[in-house]
Amino acid sequence: MLLLDYFPIFIMASLAMAFAGGTVLASFWVGPRQDKSEKLDTYECGMPPIGTPHERFNVKFFLVAMVFVIFDIEIVFLFLWAVIFRRLGWFGLAEMGIFLMILVFALLYVWEKGVLEWASKAK
Amino acid sequence: MGNVESLSYFVPELILTVAILIVLFADMFGMERGGFDLPGGAALLGSILALISHVWLYSQPATMLFEGMIAHDMFSAFFRGFFLLCTVVVTLMTMYSMEVIHLKKGEFYSILLSICIGMCLVASAQNLIMIYLALELMSLGSYILAGFSRRIGRSEEASLKFVLYGGVSTGVMLFGLSLLYGLTGSTDFSAIQQVLISSEKGIDLTAFTIFLLILVGVGYKIAAVPFHFWAPDVYEGSPTPITAFLSVASKGTGFALLIRLFYSTLLTRSPAGGFWVEVGDIDIDWTFHLAVISALTMTIGNLGAISQNNLKRLLAYSGIAHAGYLLMGVCLLTDVGLQAVIFYLVVYLFTNLAAFLVVIIMVDTQDEEGMNGVRGLWARTPIVAVAMTICLFSLIGLPPTAGFVGKYYLFVALLQGKLYWLAIVGVLNTVVSLYYYARIVKAMFFEPTYTEEPIRVHPVYAGLLTALVVPVLYFGIFWDSLARYARYCASLITY
Repeated sequence: MLLLDYFPIFIMASLAMAFAGGTVLASFWVGPRQDKSEKLDTYECGMPPIGTPHERFNVKFFLVAMVFVIFDIEIVFLFLWAVIFRRLGWFGLAEMGIFLMILVFALLYVWEKGVLEWASKAK
Repeated sequence: MGNVESLSYFVPELILTVAILIVLFADMFGMERGGFDLPGGAALLGSILALISHVWLYSQPATMLFEGMIAHDMFSAFFRGFFLLCTVVVTLMTMYSMEVIHLKKGEFYSILLSICIGMCLVASAQNLIMIYLALELMSLGSYILAGFSRRIGRSEEASLKFVLYGGVSTGVMLFGLSLLYGLTGSTDFSAIQQVLISSEKGIDLTAFTIFLLILVGVGYKIAAVPFHFWAPDVYEGSPTPITAFLSVASKGTGFALLIRLFYSTLLTRSPAGGFWVEVGDIDIDWTFHLAVISALTMTIGNLGAISQNNLKRLLAYSGIAHAGYLLMGVCLLTDVGLQAVIFYLVVYLFTNLAAFLVVIIMVDTQDEEGMNGVRGLWARTPIVAVAMTICLFSLIGLPPTAGFVGKYYLFVALLQGKLYWLAIVGVLNTVVSLYYYARIVKAMFFEPTYTEEPIRVHPVYAGLLTALVVPVLYFGIFWDSLARYARYCASLITY
């Protein structure tokens, strides 16, 4: 095992680290600074910030996001399938039919469990 | 074999997939009908049908499926049967367990069945990406099930610890897999072997790094020292049926992964037959490294179990120790060693599931999983006490139980492999384990109980316990058929 073979990689890595560290330090030393309170504040599209960022979010955001990702991926599959639809023939149609059936079923399940209702109701 | 033709070999997994949909369907519309657990019934029926179709597929010759993605051979067939049997038993346990009765059962069963599919795929994968995806399918489901009693703090703790340990160790393992890909330029096992056979000298260090990194992921799955810390807490916090599932099926998956991944990439079957050797010029002392882990695992597992008073924690440490015993067979890299491992896994399946069933009965009837629950059990319910005694004797390895025969085969394999020091460590550990298993037996038969009131065991549990304990005794006396079957499964891993 010749570790010397990897010496160029070592030089490369050191140069990369030196460059990254150097630029950060240079802008820290050379750059002009104005430590005003507005400048150090959280940037909220120009509005004064309200409250803390450590807030608890409604769990429904995550549920909706997950459902969205699943159906988004479905479209990716559908697109590829549509491009070569003629070549796949009846077999492709049946295959996609099964795939969509499972997804429609999942949608029904999600619907029945009340994920699509934003305002939670007593179950 | 092409994709469409492969489907006929894939029937058990397809049945499980359909069963998942039916379970969810039953959960949507028929939860409260007549007090019968409809999703559970659907899951049970699905897993039993999958097991039947698996047995029906058994005599098919070994072949590659889905363009070489997965293999159908005796090894994968053995593990598929193992996982399906385990799923059937755990589904039955869950259906009548008081611990999970008020939770959303439909989701519970569908996740259980998806884990089973993942495990079957781990045992048959022939591709790095396939094996990792299957492993994740199985792990993600286990994390959810470990935290399923989500109103109970320690169940949440179990789930969180499981996720953190699991995430880190599978991440490290993935790094090892990526190095393997970088070294060979392929994710397919047979192609990796071809490249490694014709590789030049000087890849020892890389190969050893790959070996170590993958070992982290595998060691976590089988709870081998030093990756065992999660096991006692997760086993204690999870709902007991899930603990039983993790301790048997998850450990089985770990060994399937270990053997499948190492024996078909970095190792190759020796032309002389009967044992495996490193491919190409790679020089790693496999036997020594795995043997050290094995010795550490069983010693620390057994020493940890001595002071435990909670039965679930005690069985967790006993599970760690058994991972050590099983590693004794794997580290030899011989057919005889593999045969002993497969034999021991079957014995472990029946014994450990039965032992956990007794814990489930304790938790259900008196909400007690400590030593107090088993104290004076003989006076309250003699059948359960006798069944538990048989299981504990089998875990120690006393005749006439199957555990004795399992240990016998392991030690014979060790002596044939001339690994005497490990055999001595194993025997000493068996003596240590005698102490804490016998402590439970003593509590059941000789210690006074706080109440003489008899325990009423649910008839399904009584039947299931009998069905699990009878094989433990049967294979302890007539082990010949099982030993022949184990040899058959061990000698036919084809690539």
